[in-house]
Amino acid sequence: MALLDVSGISVSYGRVNALKDVSLQVKEGEIVTVLGANGAGKSTLLKAILGAVPLKSGGITFADRDVTRAQPHKRIAEGLVLVPEGRRILISLTVEENLKLGAHMRRDGTAIAGEMDAIYARFPNLAERRNMLASCLSGGEQQMLAIGRAMMAKPRLMMLDEPSLGLSPLFVQKLFELIVELNRDGLAVLLVEQNTGKALSVAHRATVLELGRVTMAGDPKTLADDPRLQAAYLGAGEATPA
Amino acid sequence: MRGSMLAQQIVNGLMLGAIYMLMAVAFTLAIGVLNFLNFSLPGLFMLGGMVAYGFIKFGWPTLFAFAAALAVAALVSLLVERFAYRPMQGGDPEVPLVSSLGFLVLLENLMLIYFGSDQQAFPALVPDLNLRLGGLVIGIAQLGSLALSVLLVLWLSWFLSSTSTGRCIRTVAENRDTAVLMGIDTGRLVPMLFIASALLAAVAGLLFAVNYQQVSPFMGEGVGFKGVAAMIVGGMGSIWGAVLGGLLIGLAEVLSISFIGADVVNITVYGLLLVILILRPQGLLGRPATREKL
Ligand SMILES: Nc1ncnc2c1ncn2[C@@H]1O[C@H](COP(=O)(O)OP(=O)(O)O)[C@@H](O)[C@H]1O
Ligand SMILES: [Mg+2]
Repeated sequence: MALLDVSGISVSYGRVNALKDVSLQVKEGEIVTVLGANGAGKSTLLKAILGAVPLKSGGITFADRDVTRAQPHKRIAEGLVLVPEGRRILISLTVEENLKLGAHMRRDGTAIAGEMDAIYARFPNLAERRNMLASCLSGGEQQMLAIGRAMMAKPRLMMLDEPSLGLSPLFVQKLFELIVELNRDGLAVLLVEQNTGKALSVAHRATVLELGRVTMAGDPKTLADDPRLQAAYLGAGEATPA
Repeated sequence: MRGSMLAQQIVNGLMLGAIYMLMAVAFTLAIGVLNFLNFSLPGLFMLGGMVAYGFIKFGWPTLFAFAAALAVAALVSLLVERFAYRPMQGGDPEVPLVSSLGFLVLLENLMLIYFGSDQQAFPALVPDLNLRLGGLVIGIAQLGSLALSVLLVLWLSWFLSSTSTGRCIRTVAENRDTAVLMGIDTGRLVPMLFIASALLAAVAGLLFAVNYQQVSPFMGEGVGFKGVAAMIVGGMGSIWGAVLGGLLIGLAEVLSISFIGADVVNITVYGLLLVILILRPQGLLGRPATREKL
C-alpha cells in the first residue's frame, strides 16, 4: 500500500474549481513530482493533502490511516509535512526559533536537540546565524531553513512547493542534491516544480496537472520527451489528443 | 518634605500604572496576536472586581471569591471568542470590535441590574500594615499588587520568548496562514489567548478593587480607555511598550493630580500622550510597520 494515497479529490474556492477529481500516490522511498503551469492547482493540491483547504469530495489516506477529515496539525504529527510556496520563514523569529517551531508538536526533547545539531551540521550557514532574525538570511539560506524546519517535524513524506523559485543556479543545484540525499536516507518526497527538467531528472514518477485535472502521469523519462508536456506549460491544455 | 511627598506620589503612580499596564498588556495580546481590538476587556476588568465583591458579600472566603471572579472572566472571554470573534473571521476587522463592544455594554448592564449603578465599597482585605522607608509610607496591599503585576508580565514575556507555545503564539502573530501550514492548532491556541488576556484584565480589576476599595459596573471604562492609550503610546504589539505606556500614564495621572490639580488631569495626561505620539508616531517601543501582511 502506498504511503500517501490521494483518491479523486476536488477542491473549489467559491466558484473556482481548483482541483477536479485528482488522484495520486506516493510510495515509501519515492520522489514524485507534480508539474503544471501557473494556476494549474499545484499549491492547492499540496494544501489539500495537508488539510489546510477543505475537500469537496474524495479521500486521502496516509500511512494506512484515513486522514480525510484530520486537521493539519494531526497530519503533520503523523509525518506529513509541507515546505510551503514562498518558504514562509517567520521573520520575527530567529533562525533557531524557526527550526524549533518545526518540532513544536513533538515531545521527545532530547531527540529534537540531536536532530537540530544534525541540521546545523548539514547547513553551516544556518549554524553561524542561529541567533539572528531569519530575515537576515539570503533567499537560498531561507529555503534551507524552510527545509530544515520541515525536517524538525520528523517527516515521513516531505511535500515541497516550488522550492527552486527565485534561487540562483548554484543554490538550485544544491537544493536538488539535498532532495536526492534526503530521499536516499529514506524520506518520501512530493515535489511541485516549475523547473520541469530538474524535477523530472530526480523523480521516480511524475504527474502533470492542467486546470485542476491530471492530464498525464507516469515515468519521468517518457514524460520528458512528450510534446504534450510543453503544451501544458504553454497553457494549451485543452488541446491534448486522447 | 517635598522630596518625600514626590517619592510617595511616585509610588502611588506606579501602583495605578501597574493596573493600566496589565490592561495594556491584555489589549496588546489581543491586537498583537489576533489583530483584534477587544473591547470586552474593560468589561472583564469590571467582572474581576464586581464578581469578587459579589461573592465576598455572599459570604465566600476571599480567595475563593477571587478565584471565582477570575473563572467567570475567563468563561465570559470564551463566549466573546465564540460569538464575537470567531464568526467574524475573514470579514472586516471592525465587526468583531463592535460586537466585543456589545459584550462590554451587556456585562455592564447585567451588573447594573444586579448591583445598581452606585459605587460599592469593596472590603479592606489586607490589614492596614504599612512599610515605612524614610518618609515613605507603602501599604502592604500596594506593594503586593505591584510585585504581582510585575511578576505576571515578566512571566508572560518569558513564556512568549522561551517556550514552544510562546513560539507558536508569535508565529500566529506574524502570519496566521503560515501558522496553519506549520501545524499550529489555532482552534486551541486562540481560545487560550482569550483566556490569557481575560485573566490579565480580571487580575487588574481585582487589584483595583483591593487597592482603591471600590467597585462599580462602570469601573472598566476609564481604565480600559487608558489601557488602550498605554498600548498605543508604548507601541502597538510590544509588551514592553505596554508596560512602559501603562506606568507612564499612571505616573502622569497621579503626579498631575497632586501637583497641578484634579480638574486638569485628563488634559495633562492626554496632552502628554499626544506630544509623545507626535514625536514618535510608532509609539515608544514600536517599530514602524514590521508586520507582514500579504
Ligand atoms: N485562496 C484562494 N481563493 C480563491 N482562488 C484561489 C485561491 N488560491 C488559489 N486560487 C485559484 O485556484 C487555482 C489554482 O491555484 P494554485 O493552486 O495556487 O495553482 P498553482 O500552485 O499551480 O499555481 C487558480 O485559479 C487560483 O487563482
Ligand atoms: Mg503554486
